[in-house]
Amino acid sequence: MIRIEYQTQRLSLRFFLLMLVLFLFQTAFGLLLTGQHIDPTLLAGTLNFNVVRAEHTNLGILWVLSGFIGAILFVGPLLSKRELAAPGLIRLLFYALLAVVLWNVATQVLAEQGIAGWWLGQPLLQEGLEYLEAGRIVDVVILVGFAILCHVVWRSFPPISQWNEIHWGLGIGVLALTLVWIFGMFFVERIDLQEYFRWYVVHYWVEGVWEVIHISLVGFLLVLMFRADVKSVGFAVFWGISLVWLSGLLGNAHHYFWVGTPEFWQFWGSLFSALEPLPLIFCFWHLYLDAHQDGAPLANMPAFAFLLGSVVLEQVGAGILGFTMTFALTNVWSHGTWVTLSHAHLALFGTFGMLGIATAYYAIPLMRGVGQFDQRPGRLAFWLVFTGMLGLCFAFAIGGTVQVYVYRTLGLDWFGGEVAPAMLFAKLLVPVFGLVFTIGAGLLVYDLLTLGLRAPAPAVARPVAATGWGGRLSGWETGLWLLAMWVFGAVITLGLLSFNLRTVQDGSMLFPYLMAGIGYPGLLLTTLLFVARFLRSLAARDPVAAADQAVGVAASLAR
Amino acid sequence: MSCAAGEPCEEGGRRRRALAVLGLMGAIFIVLSLASFLGSRGQVVPASVSYAGFDAVQGKRVFQAYNCMGCHTIVGNGAYFAPDLTKLYGRVGPAWLEAFLPSAGSWPTSTAVALQLRDAATAGEAGTASIDTYLKKYPAAAERVERRGGHTTLMPNLPLSRNEVRELIAFLKYSSTMNTEGWPPTPRAAGLALAKAATLPAAQAATVAAATTTAPASAAQRGADLAQSTGCMACHSKGGERLVGPGWGGLYGSDVAFADGSSARADDAYLTQSIVDPDARVVKDYVPHVMPAYAGVLDTAQVADIVAYIRSLQGGQP
Repeated sequence: MIRIEYQTQRLSLRFFLLMLVLFLFQTAFGLLLTGQHIDPTLLAGTLNFNVVRAEHTNLGILWVLSGFIGAILFVGPLLSKRELAAPGLIRLLFYALLAVVLWNVATQVLAEQGIAGWWLGQPLLQEGLEYLEAGRIVDVVILVGFAILCHVVWRSFPPISQWNEIHWGLGIGVLALTLVWIFGMFFVERIDLQEYFRWYVVHYWVEGVWEVIHISLVGFLLVLMFRADVKSVGFAVFWGISLVWLSGLLGNAHHYFWVGTPEFWQFWGSLFSALEPLPLIFCFWHLYLDAHQDGAPLANMPAFAFLLGSVVLEQVGAGILGFTMTFALTNVWSHGTWVTLSHAHLALFGTFGMLGIATAYYAIPLMRGVGQFDQRPGRLAFWLVFTGMLGLCFAFAIGGTVQVYVYRTLGLDWFGGEVAPAMLFAKLLVPVFGLVFTIGAGLLVYDLLTLGLRAPAPAVARPVAATGWGGRLSGWETGLWLLAMWVFGAVITLGLLSFNLRTVQDGSMLFPYLMAGIGYPGLLLTTLLFVARFLRSLAARDPVAAADQAVGVAASLAR
Repeated sequence: MSCAAGEPCEEGGRRRRALAVLGLMGAIFIVLSLASFLGSRGQVVPASVSYAGFDAVQGKRVFQAYNCMGCHTIVGNGAYFAPDLTKLYGRVGPAWLEAFLPSAGSWPTSTAVALQLRDAATAGEAGTASIDTYLKKYPAAAERVERRGGHTTLMPNLPLSRNEVRELIAFLKYSSTMNTEGWPPTPRAAGLALAKAATLPAAQAATVAAATTTAPASAAQRGADLAQSTGCMACHSKGGERLVGPGWGGLYGSDVAFADGSSARADDAYLTQSIVDPDARVVKDYVPHVMPAYAGVLDTAQVADIVAYIRSLQGGQP
């Protein structure tokens, strides 16, 4: 086990704890949304759907950011080899974040009365734009918070001439995080121009900035967990970031297909955003390589499980499901339906949420000075949230396919009388998997909040046979798993494409339903089995070498 | 951990090349972006759209203030909980929206839409003052009136003022004239005519038919039917609670305080006047011009029936 060398690393703990609490609240709001989807009169007039949804999306962004800040503060001193600059500002950042959360939760309710707090043409209290619901007051505080983060990171890092690729990734990441935010701080009169700039924030955050921070953090966590070589991880980080930006900069065009911007975006968006999975495949492959560069067992299984979940769900949710709906010919159908929800939930929670949880599982035991902790709750929680999220994604995808057929193909637009009843099966599946997810979320939050504070349970080592399902995972096998995922992704893509067929347009749902019925369960089950296989093979490693590995990590950090 | 001073980093050269390619991508993106918002493209802008003298830009502020996107979608972006609003104005027309928005909890009836067409500005925007012509011109309004009229919706009533309603309609007029490159796709299948789609509406039609076959017996019963078909129940509940307007349960015979400070007993004469010319005396805490005037829509006997119905609700829920 490595020791906490720098005291300012401990400042990350409060951000991790805040992340966990907000995560629970976000999950609770999500569960309420599923209830309102089934019975739209639930709390209508008291807490309308749009308010609950705004809380759900905003808390989702805020807890992911809180996790990012925690992770950056935790690895910052290790990367800088010195204490963080301006710990006082970091404390201020925490209270600012807390104030932003409380203020924003409270002001969203004003939408029910149509109060936006207009002042000098700007909505001060809330502005009713998806993902950017926060009012201008909060926007400014958030901007200041990002500037503080930038200041801390840049001041703490060594001089630029000594930066390696991870420094570059995180340094540019936090700067871009701040700059891109500014584009969401204006009231825009035109719908097309407003959507144009709104996606600057949403897309460039997710695919330009968060992804870069994600790649850098995953890279560094792999260095910490597996003694991976910094140079080789740096190589992966460099290519990851380059590919993310080269594909993502113009890939943003996939948001400009139908918002009133010209047709030529359909060409550029379809072309470049189809390349967006490349860096994700790269990241996926490097995770495999780094986890297998020696046969040492894992000291911290929950942390790695969530890291693996993050990289795999990034592949599946952002990469494959994003790919299926990125072409103008498939997007014309998926756009504005539940089909996109499956992609959004898997990509956002999977990629970024799980990374925050993984870092918390890595960092909290170290900061609380717990050497051996009971890893069973963490492992169980991982499986609950992982299967819960895959199930949610399945429900959204199936509901979305039905919605496309009823709403777009048949042109039935009575949501209460036609569309919602047709989607009822999927709408009922959502809370089922939502409950599984919620139980997992509650368990992991409890586990992490009390880790090291409750009486340690005796660690029960259950030997896992290193043969068959527990045998070493070869590169070939991993490649085959990945191929299988993409084959199912292709089936889903063809299913969405089939909405263009004359026979479907005349009212036959056979092709799209068949393809979705094969593609989505196939993809999600393959994902589930692959992660089970991966974790099993790691669990089967010889535990004796565990202690050596920890020493090795400390040594590699000291180098 | 990092490259030592003076030692070249491994990715240094690649980094510069990658930045050059990125710069090229950025340049392409900027050129495409500039081309997207050139005036010569002819994309409609909200500043040039108004509805009955109300401004579409102001409408966008209303749209955002109520977070409409938190349930609906606009140009496909939003929450997928409720229908896309982009092309709604062009499909249902202004009079249907005028009838719907103040009491969104209920689908407007044909009478409620016809009432809005009596407003010269609305009729001017709609291009007709006749309800029959209107329903032919806007088939989606006809579909809503015929199949859904009088039923409750799943949308909550919002405290929209008269001006906000018209500003919102101006915004929806703007969005529906936008060029969205053919999205949403026009359905080829005649949805409702397909056997697969017919089950639910048929079942509902049966309930509606069953409800209308019994002949009204008393004046109060006739009034109840009339209140339903005219669309009164979109805003008034049978119980005591306030929806958009006051609840009818227990209203008859109660004391009513007006905005000007005076008060009156809610008797036949007062209720009749409130239906025929509601803005003559505005009740405290209520906004004028929300309730339409029913003079010329309902004849004297029909108003008397509705008043009789309200009288029958004296004890609250009948």
